[in-house]
Amino acid sequence: MMRFSTMMKHPADWMAGHDETTSVVVTSRVRLARNLREVPFPGWAQKSQRQQVLKKLKGQLEKHPAMNEGFSHELSELDSLQKQVLVERHLISREQAARNEGCGSVVNRKQTLSLMINEEDHLRIQAIRPSLQLKKAYELALSVDQFLEEEVNYAFDSQWGYLTACPTNLGTGMRASSMLHLPGLVLSDQIGQVLKGIGKLGLAVRGLYGEGTESLGNLYQISNQSTLGESEEQILDRLTKVIGDVARYELQARGKLMQDDPLMVRDRIGRATGILTYAQIIDSKEALGHLSMLRLGADIDILPKELIETCDRLFMETQPAHLQWRAGHKIPPETRDAMRAQMIREQLQSALPPAIDISEREN
Amino acid sequence: MKCDSCDQKATVFYTQVADGKMKKTALCEACAEQQGVTDPTGLLMADQLMGASPPPESPFPASAPAEMQSLECASKCPSCGFTISDYQKIGRLGCGECYRAFKSEITQRLPSLHKGLTHNGHVPSGLVELEQKHSRESELKKKLDQAIAEENYEDAARLRDELQKITEEEAAE
Repeated sequence: MMRFSTMMKHPADWMAGHDETTSVVVTSRVRLARNLREVPFPGWAQKSQRQQVLKKLKGQLEKHPAMNEGFSHELSELDSLQKQVLVERHLISREQAARNEGCGSVVNRKQTLSLMINEEDHLRIQAIRPSLQLKKAYELALSVDQFLEEEVNYAFDSQWGYLTACPTNLGTGMRASSMLHLPGLVLSDQIGQVLKGIGKLGLAVRGLYGEGTESLGNLYQISNQSTLGESEEQILDRLTKVIGDVARYELQARGKLMQDDPLMVRDRIGRATGILTYAQIIDSKEALGHLSMLRLGADIDILPKELIETCDRLFMETQPAHLQWRAGHKIPPETRDAMRAQMIREQLQSALPPAIDISEREN
Repeated sequence: MKCDSCDQKATVFYTQVADGKMKKTALCEACAEQQGVTDPTGLLMADQLMGASPPPESPFPASAPAEMQSLECASKCPSCGFTISDYQKIGRLGCGECYRAFKSEITQRLPSLHKGLTHNGHVPSGLVELEQKHSRESELKKKLDQAIAEENYEDAARLRDELQKITEEEAAE
């Protein structure tokens, strides 16, 4: 079985190997909600019933070939910092992190599959892939689902499909989402309009930790709301189409910005580079904002391409729990801000040429 | 800006856009950590659920009693003891059988949540056959009604026999 420290040493496979396909759509995630028949949902079950579900599901899931040498723990075996790290890696939900006894987390070695036991439902199967690959992510999650359906009896109704603790997940039990990096739409002030349009299509947009519509790091998650009435394929097709459209708008917005006001774009990227290269104290919110500009700079060839991967890694590694995990203990926020600044400086030093010229060159 | 839960300075902001409506939440670090949830409503619901304590002993019957079908909107789920007011309060259910117990209440809410009212997706393998049988059965029943309405008794007799065969097969299992 993989130890927590081993998992931390390796970035998730979707965090590495970025190319033009991840320039806008960073990741695609699919999660399936499943429950066992004849056992109350976790929120209403007695402790002994939850323990039984955990034992049964954890045992079965560890037998899945993909989980070979994976990570499998009861949440009560992990401390709060470890759980927070898993949340920052999207491997467990915040809700799950707040739970303890009778709850479990099973993750494969590549960190592309994460299974939450006794979250809001008995089982949440989650698959993560890089770029816009919702179907691939679904197939991955389905492989675990089909493996398990041979072994256990799911709570299922012929009319309503998979029965879930909350009726918002009824039917397919599937929530599919993509994380998009949309600095072009934000800089060109079109983001509000686009988000409104997505909402009208019955899809949900979340900017995690986002203030107003301007989400931190210009990262947005688009997901389906409806889970009943359409097949998984229909939901994924519709979502893929909308996300593909948004990605195209973003690329158009970047193109137009570079045509209409290249100086403004270069200035924003240049300032972000300056701050990140020299700042001594930086909080997570400010860091994410500037890293987003750096990522944009690399995407539109103002900065070296390799920086995309550095940015994506820093997006995660500069989060509070990851910083504290690296330090080996809890650290107060002020000290964290200094550590964060130092970490960013060091990583950028190796990724950026020493004196970078970001002004427009005549060729 | 102040935290929604206490008077501390809010540092964690959360925005949700759903159905064109925007909802904003602001929390201080301590409250955000304490609540530890991405979806603030989900978390409040979880708290409320914890507050409503489960019955001390609720032996879960191996199979749901058949008469439940007639109790389309019971006030309490016969399987797990979850009440309809629990559902109205927190928007979650106690167990799979609650869906049957509170069917009319849930059915009312579904159109605002979903695109349809009938599952159209993946069916667990063991249930595929069962599903096929059920849909074949309802198809035959529809045809039988039609045949009777059209006074086509020859077809009606054949359809009735086919239906009977399916019912007998089910009983044999």
